[in-house]
Amino acid sequence: MSHPTAVQLLEAVGLFLREAEAALPGRLGFHAKVARNVVAIVCRELAQDPDSAEARALAAFGGPAAVSAGLRSGELAPDDPALLAALAEAVIARLAVDNPRYPTLARLRAPEDSS
Amino acid sequence: MATRPASREGSEPLSILDPAGPEGRAALARLLAPALGGAVTVREVVALSGGANSATWRVEAEVTRGGAAPEVRCVIFQRSAGRGAQGLPRRVQAEVMQRAGRAGVPVPPVLAIPDDASGLGDSVVTGFVAGEALAPRWLRDERFAEARGALAAQCGAALAKLHAVPLSAWADLPLGGGSGAELLEGMFATYRRIGVDVPAFDLAFAWLRPRMPETPPTCLVHGDFRAGNFLVDEGGLAAVLDWELPHLSVPEEDLGWLCVQAWRFGHWQKPVGGFATRDALLAAYRAAGGTVEADRLWTWEVFGNLKWGMSCLQLADDHVSGRVPSVERAAIGRRVSEVAADLVHAIAKGDL
Repeated sequence: MSHPTAVQLLEAVGLFLREAEAALPGRLGFHAKVARNVVAIVCRELAQDPDSAEARALAAFGGPAAVSAGLRSGELAPDDPALLAALAEAVIARLAVDNPRYPTLARLRAPEDSS
Repeated sequence: MATRPASREGSEPLSILDPAGPEGRAALARLLAPALGGAVTVREVVALSGGANSATWRVEAEVTRGGAAPEVRCVIFQRSAGRGAQGLPRRVQAEVMQRAGRAGVPVPPVLAIPDDASGLGDSVVTGFVAGEALAPRWLRDERFAEARGALAAQCGAALAKLHAVPLSAWADLPLGGGSGAELLEGMFATYRRIGVDVPAFDLAFAWLRPRMPETPPTCLVHGDFRAGNFLVDEGGLAAVLDWELPHLSVPEEDLGWLCVQAWRFGHWQKPVGGFATRDALLAAYRAAGGTVEADRLWTWEVFGNLKWGMSCLQLADDHVSGRVPSVERAAIGRRVSEVAADLVHAIAKGDL
């Protein structure tokens, strides 16, 4: 195994970017913050493998590219409940990596939306 | 859209003055003298936030009239970002803004529009309007509680007044636009040009296609009417900013855009900009004389979310294609996941 692991290396970069963010003025500081967020996304992506999760969620419809193609050609209907349930599972897997604090993630996971 | 950048580049002088430099200050002073009614010395030029399409400076001018003591005036100088900037030329934007102001929309006063000989580029000078521009701040701070309560009525009234202006009043300006169906197809063409597959975007295109109106535009829309483009003071809406994207469409486009999840800044329980319910906005719009159906608003809200998602995709493509390498643009590409989740939620549950 590699020591440190890829995730541990990225976590170290994240720590450095946090320091840089505090020391850099204006736009550079803002970009350090954005970069730290990007590093966090990559860490989660390495741990969670959202590509596979999305492919599994949409497997019954032939996978992500086939779903896009089917919706474009009209073979798949945008009101098909089974398709909507599969798409919900697929977007949850991606959003859990890209922004786990986004409110819609919890709302999609809730069995019955309270709104 | 395709013809605008070319015509703009053609009309731009080769070198444009830095407004903070000595020549730029002198040019600003010459421009401001008639507008401010006296001899003008430009004291300070401070760069404010710059968007993708424009750059903004605060200019402090000293005005001397006759023998009176000099008066200090603050004005705002705004200029297109130049090559690759989207939106209308500043001069047209300023004209739309002034006419909207005369119709009753709160806008900053236009003080001067530089001509080509000024060396100041495609720009406009407006009066300084006090207020908070950072939406997360006025959505949260206690001192804006009253303002938040007033905003739904003020936004509804501002949009109703803008949309009530007859189409003929804009006929002399080079404005784009089209039916809802045409706007959707334009967006789909961009989506296919970028060439990636986002299943949730295809879901939204398929859901919207039979729902978007094919009827021609009925009014001018602001085109970017959202929480981030408001100046808010303790009384509420002080000014509507950023008139870069006005076009001819239907009222529901502005109303639906105001409800897009991305401008709620986490306050998702209040769909209208994070500060009000849809019913409150619709009631205010109708009370000010506007006509709108709730189900058509919902269709345009879904359209608005998809449009924001397409912006994320395009900004990310700027980086991926190598046109504008930028960590910021690369990161925005992953906000596509947020919009994908919003679109699936909206279409599966009929609410967002």
